[in-house]
Amino acid sequence: MKELENQGKKQTTDSLSDIMNIDRLVHSPARLSILTYLSVVEEGDAVYLLNQTGLTWGNLSANVTRLQEAGYIEVVKEFKDKKPHTLLRLTDSGRKAFHNYQNEMKGLLDIKSLSPGGLRISRQNRMK
Amino acid sequence: MDTSDQKNLERRVFTSFFQAGFIEAFTGIFLLQLGLPALFSRSGFGDWESALLTLPIALILLIAVFLVRRFVVTPRLGKVKFLPERRRKLSKLIIVPILTLIAGAIVGYIFTENAPLRHIFVGQIPFSLLPIIVFGAAAYFLDMKRLYVYGAIVGLTFPLGKYLETVIVSRNTLPATILFTAFVFLGIATVFLVALLRKYHEPEV
Repeated sequence: MKELENQGKKQTTDSLSDIMNIDRLVHSPARLSILTYLSVVEEGDAVYLLNQTGLTWGNLSANVTRLQEAGYIEVVKEFKDKKPHTLLRLTDSGRKAFHNYQNEMKGLLDIKSLSPGGLRISRQNRMK
Repeated sequence: MDTSDQKNLERRVFTSFFQAGFIEAFTGIFLLQLGLPALFSRSGFGDWESALLTLPIALILLIAVFLVRRFVVTPRLGKVKFLPERRRKLSKLIIVPILTLIAGAIVGYIFTENAPLRHIFVGQIPFSLLPIIVFGAAAYFLDMKRLYVYGAIVGLTFPLGKYLETVIVSRNTLPATILFTAFVFLGIATVFLVALLRKYHEPEV
């Protein structure tokens, strides 16, 4: 029993350190949504992202800027028929960061880390 | 999100670009091109006159579809370049016209070489099978299940028209059946377009 509890404690500690290592830039719902919809295409324009993510122009623009600054997406601004047209695509590092995030979250939500011992320790940790 | 989720999302994004009703519009125009000359020629016009009367109608409709796509739909849905995997699958759509040509050649050969078969099959099997093959291939390569249904509807139109011709003794029954299906498809296309216009508004930059 003691062994099981220790095992649970170790798993939870590992999970907690994994949570701390999660890429917070990707973790935000708006940015995660942008990255997800860009990951299934080679490139898309701002209208495509606006429709698919349901974000407002301002919100989309702010989050795109953050992702661009991090080097996760590439933004090409051009004029088409005298109208501004913004084209966005995931960079290699952005695609890598997105896949890493996917794997990390998948690992964290794995059923093993939700063992009874793990959950109990996790509650104790939260109370500290 | 695992790979299958991502594939589903990619498919959902891809099909969302086909919600404007263009496939339905093109099917409707194609059926109009079949039904109208048949109707005109059975109403006393010559073959050339029938074709010449139909051509401007089809052209106007095609131009209208392209203009709607360019100025109404694209600004609302945005532009996307799909992943190479999807583009490869789309390039396989070339199989559709090739299949049509092969099937047409086989059917043509059977008819010209076998007079008895001609009487049994004319207007029935080839006209039913071709749309089913073409729409089936398009449904597979475009990942759109509704195209199987369209194939069945278009495929059934011809035997139904022939059958109705025997029930309602009129020279215009077959063209009228084809035209009815054409208008059903054009109606579906309009419903799709109106739904899209209600759902998406042109964004103000």
